[in-house]
Amino acid sequence: MDEHSHTIKFEFCGKPVEARAGDTVASALYRSGQRIFTRSFKYHRPRGLLCLSGKCPNCLMNVDGVPNVRTCMTPVRPGMQVAHQNAYPSLDHDWLSIAQQFDWLMPVGWYYKTMTHPSMWHAAEPYIRKIAGLGVPPLVGTEAGEYEHGYRHAEVAIIGGGPAGLQKAIELGTRGEQVLLIDDQPALGGHLRYSKSSRVAAGELIAQVHKLANVEVLQGSYCFGLYEGNLLGIVQSKPHPEAAERLIHLRARQVVIATGAYEAPLLFRNNDLVGIMLSSAVQRLIRLHGVAPGKVAVVIGSGGRSEELVSDLGEAGIRVAATVPPESVIAATGKGRVTGVQTKNENLRCDLVVVCGHRVPDAGLLSQAGARLEWDGGKGAFIPVDLPPHVFAVGDVTGASFIAASPLPPERVAASKRVFVCVCNDVTSQDLQDAIAEGFDHIETLKRYTTATMGPCQGRMCQLSSIGICAHETQRSMGGTGTTTSRPPNPSVTLGALAGARHHPTRRTPMHYEHDALQAVWMDMGEWKRPRFYKTSSSSEEKVCVKEEYRAVRERVGLIDVSTLGKLDVKGRDCGKLLDKVYAGRLSDLRPGRVRYAVLCDEAGIMLDDGTVSRLSDDHFFITTTTGNLEFVHQWLEWWLIGTGWDVHITNLTGGLAALNLAGPKAREVLAKLTICDLNTKAFSYMACRRAEVSGVQALLMRIGFVGETGWEIHFPAESGAYLWRALLDAGSEFEIRPFAVEAQRLLRLEKQHVIVGVDTDALTNPFEAGMGWVAKLDKEDFIGRAALRRLSGEELKQSLAGFIMNEGELPEDGAAILVDGKLAGRVTSARYSPANWKAVGLAWIPAALARPGAEIQVRVGGRLARARITQQAFYDPEGARLRM
Amino acid sequence: MSFLLHCPHCGDRSVYEFRFGGEVKQRPAPDAPEADWIHYSYTKTNTAGVQKEWWNHRSGCGQWLQAQRNTITNEVFETFFPER
Repeated sequence: MDEHSHTIKFEFCGKPVEARAGDTVASALYRSGQRIFTRSFKYHRPRGLLCLSGKCPNCLMNVDGVPNVRTCMTPVRPGMQVAHQNAYPSLDHDWLSIAQQFDWLMPVGWYYKTMTHPSMWHAAEPYIRKIAGLGVPPLVGTEAGEYEHGYRHAEVAIIGGGPAGLQKAIELGTRGEQVLLIDDQPALGGHLRYSKSSRVAAGELIAQVHKLANVEVLQGSYCFGLYEGNLLGIVQSKPHPEAAERLIHLRARQVVIATGAYEAPLLFRNNDLVGIMLSSAVQRLIRLHGVAPGKVAVVIGSGGRSEELVSDLGEAGIRVAATVPPESVIAATGKGRVTGVQTKNENLRCDLVVVCGHRVPDAGLLSQAGARLEWDGGKGAFIPVDLPPHVFAVGDVTGASFIAASPLPPERVAASKRVFVCVCNDVTSQDLQDAIAEGFDHIETLKRYTTATMGPCQGRMCQLSSIGICAHETQRSMGGTGTTTSRPPNPSVTLGALAGARHHPTRRTPMHYEHDALQAVWMDMGEWKRPRFYKTSSSSEEKVCVKEEYRAVRERVGLIDVSTLGKLDVKGRDCGKLLDKVYAGRLSDLRPGRVRYAVLCDEAGIMLDDGTVSRLSDDHFFITTTTGNLEFVHQWLEWWLIGTGWDVHITNLTGGLAALNLAGPKAREVLAKLTICDLNTKAFSYMACRRAEVSGVQALLMRIGFVGETGWEIHFPAESGAYLWRALLDAGSEFEIRPFAVEAQRLLRLEKQHVIVGVDTDALTNPFEAGMGWVAKLDKEDFIGRAALRRLSGEELKQSLAGFIMNEGELPEDGAAILVDGKLAGRVTSARYSPANWKAVGLAWIPAALARPGAEIQVRVGGRLARARITQQAFYDPEGARLRM
Repeated sequence: MSFLLHCPHCGDRSVYEFRFGGEVKQRPAPDAPEADWIHYSYTKTNTAGVQKEWWNHRSGCGQWLQAQRNTITNEVFETFFPER
């Protein structure tokens, strides 16, 4: 194969870039000659590669529309669109870098000191947002692909695929444990991949891991949180070509943290110049990507680590000008890019500075799990101790082989606006010292005031230096100064990964596709889809269609699908006892074959739900609940059953039964065509129920009248839903039957002043206020809410739910304000234009004193006040004669 | 909050499968003084420590169970079905 077939092409700011297989976006850009990768948060100083391991903010870019992507961790893919952030017009020439000339205008705590009035902040914010910051979130979706969620279990989860994690995986895997090894790098091996001393060993370890069938490796996946119950949050990049990321919720019996250590920068003037890199980043560029990071290097460091680097640089053909100990370095020189190092003794020229920095255990997950961090001066690190049960640490995260890179706390701290402690937020040693002098000398208040450790790297680059400066300035020890708290997510997670795919469960009634064929316009009711109205052959306007449906029910006959009603079958000797205890009304004396309206209250007397209760036989009841409250009512009944010893069995039949309501003056004639059941009002009176066969389908018929006309609610097996729907429409065609839907039903019931619990009532409504005090049978010995309802029955009402009719032709919106004598006094809960009254009618909460027929109120309609009067009786057929015909 | 609850019927499950039902309280007798009823309806002990409480396994078997849980650490010591 020729060289060319290995080339991957992508675009950086519209220009083509060629990458090699195995490249990350950052390494490919570096090879192409790019040196400036970002502009800093506040001062727009040019920044180049620093850590090359996803631990610093210096390579964040926009990739395929996703902002703040760590390009050093992102493998190149053909056709990727990569763009810089926070620079204008380009990274090399950023006009906003003028900001660093005005750093004296931006002392620590600048916001708190200058934005002393809200108006100042409002005036300044748009400009600050443009100048300071990171990436810009996409307005709509990105090209990155879908986001998914996955749920997994493991006996052991090992975080980190370096030597310690590999060894642990082999040890546990050989013992037969089911192991999931999670590694954030593109390949296993950790630092063995770029540290030449033990390369062979890495290959052997990896081969052994791959041989073990019970060890699974998740590559390119990072763990951002360790939560209660050993729940791990893991983001897997590109689990398959269509997906950008998959968030795995992993539950593990045991968790082994083998996250190793990372390197943190040292403090000297201009320590952020492009060309100053951490030693491990230099090794990664050389060994993993075959890129020579410079021509002439100065190594800052001492001991074995600096010797290893000198040897590595030599092999890569880079001349080492000098190795200098950290204590002797005063400043790096150069404008933008590094051109040299100034030490106490000499000025060295170079184009690359290799910093052998502090080694820091990557112990964030251990801290989240509850471990304590204890300072060890010899190791120069905070070491995790007191690990909780089921969480273990192995390898460099324990600080086992550490030797301090330079003394901490430092012997002296140069105060300068050019010694960058926090590269994320441009916080300098001067800023920290000023903040401490102002009294923010606790590490947690220092963090919040200066924002050091609060940037995208979440303190990885700056935490140790901040603690060092704080300890030095306050003359405390490192351990006495302490660390800030590590919280998830760390590292940061895309909002896409957290949101995941949107799976909205949808419930469809058995007649769903019949409604579709009839041109239903849909609405959501909880998880259910319900027709709102049906388009007609001549109109698709809601007002017109609803009126047609309304007229069919009032004048002829209509059919509505009410399958979404909650349906509970209650059987057993003691059903009456349970229902008497839980419902406010009395149900034990209901005769078989009768139906009663019933209201459910809580112990405070608040109305929770309403519905019908039908008694089918002595020990068999059938309850309906409102569509949204089924689960609650079912749980409520089961809960109150506990401890009673009563013989009651409750079965949820909601999904198993379809339900229809056939209503209108011609309903009896339509139904009579399909059943031999005697529907005459003497044989089948209002509020009666019977089992009967309708067009060959076993059904329960209930004669009830929510819409105010003679009608039957028909409950029957769901599988016959579409069949019986069609059979009834066919039978009704000679009477010009029409299907009607939720909106017409709401109008029909409003004309009868039938309350919808949860629409006309709220979480504070009791039956007396709702004008339904009669539902509570206070003479019952005991029921849920009795104590509160007895108390309320003796109190004067403050507000009432009352009917009103508009004086003129206005139609108020649901929720419109009610005014009395120009003062806000209540609100409309439902209002519709009533064809029976030629005016809008509705229900409203009003002061109880006004709840008398003829009382005048004002309703706000479209910004104007309109007059209305209270009507306590139904707007349609107040005697209920039509229900009983 | 991501602890596991042991459902006596279904086994160890994520707490998100359950509906919390509050602390276990003794309901006053029907003729108890009004103050007792008000206390029962409106006040909660809000224990910082081990509390006996109700949970419903809504995404599982649907049954009500009781748990002894430390409200500070979310350590669950015992779960059981109450007497029917």
